[in-house]
Amino acid sequence: MTKPPNDNLPTVKLVVVGDGGVGKSAITIQFFQKLFVTDYDPTIEDSYLQHVDVDGQWCILDVLDTAGQEEFSAMREQYMRKGDGFLLVYSVTDKNSYEHIPHFHTQILRVKDRDVYPMLLVANKVDLVHLRKVTEEQGRELAHKLGIPYIETSAKDPPLNIDATFHEVVRIVRNEAATKDKKRRKFRQIKKKMENCVII
Amino acid sequence: MMLLPTATTLTFQQDFYYSVAERTKFFASKCRSLSPSLNTKDSSPKGKFRFSACTSSRRSNKKNNTKWYIKQPTWRLWGEEKADGALYTVYLKKVRYHRPTRSLSSSHSDSDDEISHLEWETVRVRFVKAGTLKRLVEALATDDGELETTYINVFLATYRSFSSPKEVLRLLLQRYEELADPPENGKPDHHEQHRKTLISALHVWLDSYPEDFKESPHHPALIQLVNFCEKYLPATELEAKVRHRLDRYSREQPPKITDTLLIPPATLALRTAVPEWKCYRLPNVPVRHFAEQLTRMDVDLFKKLVPHQCLGAVWSRRDKSRSHEAATVLATVNQFNAVSFRVISSILVEPGHKALDRAFIIICWIDIAQELRVLKNFSSLKAIISGLQSNPIYRLQKTWAVVAKEKIELFDELARIFSEDNNQWAQRELLMREGTAKFADTVGENDKQLQKIFQRQNNHSANISFGTIPYLGTFLTDLTMIDTAIPDTISDGLINFDKRRKEFEVLAQIKLLQGAANAYNLIGDIVFDRWFDSILVLDDREAYQLSCQIEPSQNNHVSKVKKKSSGHQKNDSIASNSSSNSSQFYCDIDSMPSSPHNSIERKLSPSQMSNSSSSSSLPSLDVSLNSSHSGRDNKLQVPLNSSGTLSPSHSQKSSPDFYVIKVTFETNSVETEGIVLYKSIMLSNNERTPQVIRNAMYKLGLEGNPDNYTLAQVLPDKEMILPLNANVYYAVNTAYNLNFILRQKKPEEAESNGKAAKSKIKL
Repeated sequence: MTKPPNDNLPTVKLVVVGDGGVGKSAITIQFFQKLFVTDYDPTIEDSYLQHVDVDGQWCILDVLDTAGQEEFSAMREQYMRKGDGFLLVYSVTDKNSYEHIPHFHTQILRVKDRDVYPMLLVANKVDLVHLRKVTEEQGRELAHKLGIPYIETSAKDPPLNIDATFHEVVRIVRNEAATKDKKRRKFRQIKKKMENCVII
Repeated sequence: MMLLPTATTLTFQQDFYYSVAERTKFFASKCRSLSPSLNTKDSSPKGKFRFSACTSSRRSNKKNNTKWYIKQPTWRLWGEEKADGALYTVYLKKVRYHRPTRSLSSSHSDSDDEISHLEWETVRVRFVKAGTLKRLVEALATDDGELETTYINVFLATYRSFSSPKEVLRLLLQRYEELADPPENGKPDHHEQHRKTLISALHVWLDSYPEDFKESPHHPALIQLVNFCEKYLPATELEAKVRHRLDRYSREQPPKITDTLLIPPATLALRTAVPEWKCYRLPNVPVRHFAEQLTRMDVDLFKKLVPHQCLGAVWSRRDKSRSHEAATVLATVNQFNAVSFRVISSILVEPGHKALDRAFIIICWIDIAQELRVLKNFSSLKAIISGLQSNPIYRLQKTWAVVAKEKIELFDELARIFSEDNNQWAQRELLMREGTAKFADTVGENDKQLQKIFQRQNNHSANISFGTIPYLGTFLTDLTMIDTAIPDTISDGLINFDKRRKEFEVLAQIKLLQGAANAYNLIGDIVFDRWFDSILVLDDREAYQLSCQIEPSQNNHVSKVKKKSSGHQKNDSIASNSSSNSSQFYCDIDSMPSSPHNSIERKLSPSQMSNSSSSSSLPSLDVSLNSSHSGRDNKLQVPLNSSGTLSPSHSQKSSPDFYVIKVTFETNSVETEGIVLYKSIMLSNNERTPQVIRNAMYKLGLEGNPDNYTLAQVLPDKEMILPLNANVYYAVNTAYNLNFILRQKKPEEAESNGKAAKSKIKL
């Protein structure tokens, strides 16, 4: 693995949302744990910061996971505001957590005041085959309805798709930024043309 | 009330707090390089050594930041050791045999350690890293049979995540019995010491976690202890303590319904007391008093908080059916949300308010938040910040635009405390610095407003000291993460006790702050409680809709609506250019304009927008916005036909209007003069009397059959009883205040309904 470059890297802020008990913390820990080989201290400043190389481009991943605070519902919007991209996590063993996803989705769009926003639907705990209540089809259907991509994960050893999940959200965030740029450029061009028209 | 704890118990607890206090300060000095193993070292059986170790390490840390055993010359990690059913971490400790006073004195320094080789020797000390439950119970006494103070505190605070009180008690007593047998290979003293230690452990347990022994109706754990004492320890302090405890618990009556909740009699006072009604109305309220009252509520909950309910194994792994196991945590969370919701609704619900009126309410909350900062109540402080940063409030640009600049600055400074940056660093740091300090004085270099406030504050009240109420959420997340990251068992199923030590670090902080919270001395104010209870709570959707009524969204971000309304771009731009009130018109192209005043008036002439602001009704909410989200669970939705009276061009839109009505419950019980307890409820335009009664009963905490109640609007000269089938929304007289009385029917009335179900007051 190449070393991360030292100069100023772009920071991507990801927020993990979903009901309590869906294994959000396990996904986050599984992703960051590699750094804490011997011991784990949740209070350390850079606990949830990591340099990652996604498609040959380095960035700093800053993950906000408020696992354990789900029921402080009044502050949810406050931290949603900070996210560049979101992981919407539900557990395939818990139908309710699946059904709550649209609510999180709506809330994020409202907070961002946008039609679309970088998000990824994460179906967690797929290792628990016998306890599964939400099928892959149902997951994909919901993802389709919300217009966001879908991924299945397991944070149990051996982990499934954990790194892929975070990398994918980074890609979605980058794509979004790129299309926004393009739109803006286009808009500027049109505006210019119109101005020209007026002058003429 | 009780026998005093034994001398030993007292020492243990002092030791414990001592070490925690020291630890907290220790961390505060930003010794972040210290490895977790220091904590284990910290659990030296001898308090004074621990203290001196901490002191020296703190000082030396400034000099170098390398490995702990350089900072801590008296301790060294040796390695791990496996024994039957347990895994130990072994340290080498240098023990000083001379100058006992010196080791505690401030003149003690590292150089002493270098030069005094001859005066100390190295001892091997081992700490349980993991073990079977039996071994963990045995480890309450060290190899020498002494009590390990830190160990027992960690054990008692966390054992519920791997065992139960019953099981631990059984093993503890069993261990005692084993030791009571004559030793096989001599050393009777040793056993004697072990047994004494187990008794001390029982004392500590009984004193620190009395609830573990309380199990109505028979308290089997205490009975088991009584039997044990009769056999092994007759006429001892332990026996007296246990018997006394059992006696007291048995005499305690199970709480009666009437005791626990007498709904404060609400009443007719509504009519008699209206003119001098002492009640608070934002923004003209005493902000310091409000901050104190919020703090009073938080202190009550925080002192009742059972720290081990915060453990990941209890709180974050609980299923909803076992919620009672984390009841005290849940109560804290609910209070937090309640404060936030009140911030949100107080700013949104008055439809007649202008941007400036709302700005004053926002400023009022910022001022309350500032007082909370001075009081070091980070729970309600964060709740207010969260409320102000919630989407429905945050997005009100026109309102924020008229908030004074220095208030915005102050708000930003307060909000920075809870910044998520660097894993909540700001908040953690602040808690460490001020957790046990007397008063608030920490400011960031950019905190201009706070600096001024603290200066003023500290000049005035140099002698007042406050406790600290932390925001519990950060601890809950930390504990959840520890629980996820560290396995419960290691090495073929041994209970991972190091995990519990880690958890205990968090619990110890909570306990320390709970102790400090005793410094608050705040007196309750019924008028405040009444105000608090009377505020309407909106869910996030309702709040958002109201917010959009006040200031329409610039970007109509719901895609479906946008597509449909793409032909109306022009209107959109008008909306964004128009001034605050009339822009409501264009909140959503598909919706219809709504008068914020009288719905009947609106029905007759929908386009007529008068600007009077005295009405207490809410502006109509726009359903089309709503249904384009997920209409499924939208409780505000209204059947289409309810809008039949609307003019044709609007008839396809159902526009549920809302009133906020105040409902008071009249009981037959003794009237308390002047006390009026009302609840606000939302009234939508499809609600008929039974439904409204049901809603009111729910809010007032009444159980029973709604048919046994009547609802009446209080008018200046009479009451208007609402007929059973009335659509309350249309029936109410909006010319007057929307005050209502809920009454229980007299028995004969109720029976005439054929349903004589008794209603009772809900617990």
